[in-house]
Amino acid sequence: MFIQTWFLPFLLLATATVIAFPLSRYMAWIMDGKYRPLPVFRWFEEHLDSGPQNWKQYTCSLLIFNTILFIFGFLILALQPWMPLNPDSKTMLAPSTIFNSVVSFMTNTNLQHYAGDQHLTNFSQIFFCIANMFLSAAIGLCALTAIIRAFRSSSTLGNFFVDMWRVLVYMFVPAAFIIGLIFITQGSPMTFQTSHSLSTLEPAAMGTTDTGEAKQQTIVVGPVAALESIKMLGTNGGGFYGMNSAHPFENPTGLSNFFNALSMMLFPFALVLMYGRMLRKFRHSLVIFSVMLVLMTGTIIWAVYFDTLKPNPTLTSHPVAKTYAIASAVAPGGKTVVSTPAVAGLPVDQHLGNLEGKEMRFGVSAGATFAALTTDVTCGAVNAESDSLNPIAALSPMVGMWLNCVFGGKGVGMVNMLLYLIIGIFVAGMMVGRTPEYLGKKIEAREVKLAIIALLVHPFMILMPTGLFAATDWGLKAVSNPGAHGFSQILYQFSSASANNGSAFDGLGVTYGFWNAANPAPEAIAWDIAAGLVMLFSRFLPIIAPIAMAAYLGAKKSSPFGLGTLRDDSVTFGFLLLGTIVIIGALLFLPVAALGPVAEHLGPIPFGG
Amino acid sequence: MSRYLSKSLLLLLFSVVICCVLYPLVLWVTGQTLFNFQANGSILLGPDGKPVGSRLIAQPFTKDEYFQPRPSAASYDASASASSSLAASNYALRDRVARSLGPIIKYRSGPKTGQPVSPDIESWFKKDMYQGSPHIVAQWADQHNSLAQAWVTSDPTHAAYVDDWAKARPDLVKKWIKENPGTPQPKAADLAVVFFKNFSEKNPGKFLSAVTHKGADGKDQATLQPVNEGSDIQSTFCLMWREEHPDVDLENVPGDMVMSSASGLDPHITFQNAEYQLDRVASKWATNLKRNPDDVRKEIGQILRDNASAPWGGLAGEKFVNVLEVNLALRKRYGAP
Repeated sequence: MFIQTWFLPFLLLATATVIAFPLSRYMAWIMDGKYRPLPVFRWFEEHLDSGPQNWKQYTCSLLIFNTILFIFGFLILALQPWMPLNPDSKTMLAPSTIFNSVVSFMTNTNLQHYAGDQHLTNFSQIFFCIANMFLSAAIGLCALTAIIRAFRSSSTLGNFFVDMWRVLVYMFVPAAFIIGLIFITQGSPMTFQTSHSLSTLEPAAMGTTDTGEAKQQTIVVGPVAALESIKMLGTNGGGFYGMNSAHPFENPTGLSNFFNALSMMLFPFALVLMYGRMLRKFRHSLVIFSVMLVLMTGTIIWAVYFDTLKPNPTLTSHPVAKTYAIASAVAPGGKTVVSTPAVAGLPVDQHLGNLEGKEMRFGVSAGATFAALTTDVTCGAVNAESDSLNPIAALSPMVGMWLNCVFGGKGVGMVNMLLYLIIGIFVAGMMVGRTPEYLGKKIEAREVKLAIIALLVHPFMILMPTGLFAATDWGLKAVSNPGAHGFSQILYQFSSASANNGSAFDGLGVTYGFWNAANPAPEAIAWDIAAGLVMLFSRFLPIIAPIAMAAYLGAKKSSPFGLGTLRDDSVTFGFLLLGTIVIIGALLFLPVAALGPVAEHLGPIPFGG
Repeated sequence: MSRYLSKSLLLLLFSVVICCVLYPLVLWVTGQTLFNFQANGSILLGPDGKPVGSRLIAQPFTKDEYFQPRPSAASYDASASASSSLAASNYALRDRVARSLGPIIKYRSGPKTGQPVSPDIESWFKKDMYQGSPHIVAQWADQHNSLAQAWVTSDPTHAAYVDDWAKARPDLVKKWIKENPGTPQPKAADLAVVFFKNFSEKNPGKFLSAVTHKGADGKDQATLQPVNEGSDIQSTFCLMWREEHPDVDLENVPGDMVMSSASGLDPHITFQNAEYQLDRVASKWATNLKRNPDDVRKEIGQILRDNASAPWGGLAGEKFVNVLEVNLALRKRYGAP
């Protein structure tokens, strides 16, 4: 059991780390433009190149391209009923859901307020989902590249359009093809058909139709493998099917699960080392890499320990009746006492851990491992139901989203890490009474302000809407589980939106469905709009502000390395960074953690009923 | 600025052509030519040569002759995958698991070792006492309003039964409206608790269940009737029985047998789960085929072993079997059940 539990997570960490070294070298080589493109590719590059750009022009191009992408995505979804590959006449999604989905895919979030298998045609899956998956991931990577070039004090940041081309054509498309092919061999469909209808082996078990005949099973298929590979490689996470990487067609075997998890780790791991290679500070990037690896290992161990190695507490016995004193403004003495009866254990063998919402074929710890990984690298694909994780285990994915810098999504995770790093160096500088420096450049008020703005957007965008929704019908009518877990559902949704993650506690009622849906979730429109806005702000402010910060910093004069300079490639520096992340993260999010998963864990189980 | 706009459009055009046309097409051609079976959904053919399901998608089995898949929150609908989304702290999860346990659990020790618990749940239910007070059904509805309401809404005949009752007892309905002034026109589900309280007083030791009988036209029809035994009682009240008998030693049921999967379409069960079902499956086939139960058990056990596999060859997890493949093998070997 020990090996069965820990084999998969550590194999994944090791493989991704080993691949990161050569891959980061390749990526730095590409992004530095040292390759010689084939003549046909050179033609494309020449036509895309708009000349060298400064940081404002680069950011401007990035924003203009995103605007175009938004309009394109909106058109594709809004025109779904009239587009090809729609044999079962799927109609249009609700307008608010289209807004949410377009923002969601454009920002690399892939929070899905719809279910792909029910609501999208194959045309939309290809021209909306796949297009956005390639492009939004590339945009994040380009933002990081621009920051690196700004740090290098280059007079120009390169060209946004050429960078996009490089990422897409020399990195993502070949990688997606290889991974896609692996998924096909494992059983992911790759067809332009939409579904098979067939009579099952015991037809009566499927139930009967209104006319009294045995129901057929309708098996939805489509270009799953093509979507699946870029979904994972681009840390997008928006599934072809409603249940994402838990669905047997998206993730058919234990081996495909390994490649699912590995491919979402590949680029985020390599990006950190690419940062070091391009800045010629490889040791420095190794320190950052190690800090991230420590945090990631921690979240994995936490999730696996509490979910795979512990039973689901709802079935275990709690033989002693408990009483809880709860603070209350109206009760005499300021406290009301609530008591819960003793609970008998149910005769269920739980040696494989919490199996509610888990699939058998991936391996015992695969669900918990995946939940931690997917939030650390802000992918958002899931291979188990996060809503049904053991209460305290669910803290792990939440922490991954709150910190949002444990490798993180394409480029932006590393950018977030730079913010923590600037603030850490600033704090350390203050403590020893020296002007803080990073890469030999003095960090002054303007840089710290920009870093703080970019960093505070995230908690602001999580905590404010969570508070608002938890206090109103928007949240209360949407939650599907009672008590603290209901609060967790709201908190998780906004954490996921703000971290541009995309995973969810699926019980939350946020699906409106088609525009003419008979029974939409009552508060779906409020959720569509609120989550959409959160994703927008949390994506673009933390990209623009750091580019500006890097440009200001890069333009300064380098001061020579002296005795008093804080070494950025030492173990001490690693602990400084780790400490900064943990302390800032804890200060920001411990209170909500206590209200959500911690309260659920410590409170009565089962709750209410 | 307009220059960036035109470059943006050009970039979008290039990337759509490459990522949305060329890339899927190349993958499609490769998949369809080299891995035709997988690329089309891994469809298996039945004994009559017709498609019978996908080896990757669970389908329901209810007959005792077949191995049964994990519970599905999606009702095995492969066009709308879904998980239960029930939190560990949600009472509904505990209740759902207990319901599936009721009809199958057995004693592990004591004089009744190996015997099913369900007859004892029924006889306990007939006595109609729970934790020192009478009327189990009334207490069930009172303590778990949502379960009582779920019973009413789960089936149109249930709601109709409560509606008929409401017409017959306007006094109780009036009293309920007085206590709940916010709902002047209660629906059947709103009245669930008061309905069950009244029902329980009038029918001590009984619960409502669909009973099939010959109708006036000679056809089978099902109506709701007060009963004091049957699978509805075994499942619905298993949890309350257990709360009163917390120390009785019961045989553990494999976890994946009662815990629903993430997609609702998990095609596998653990080997442990298959072995747990083996007795039932083997004895049923042995009766059908009039053969020695031990021989049939050995044969089916061999089928299970032949179909077993494990994630990463056992390094990452325990053995499991594919339910549809095993059941297809049974069907091919022994004929239709």
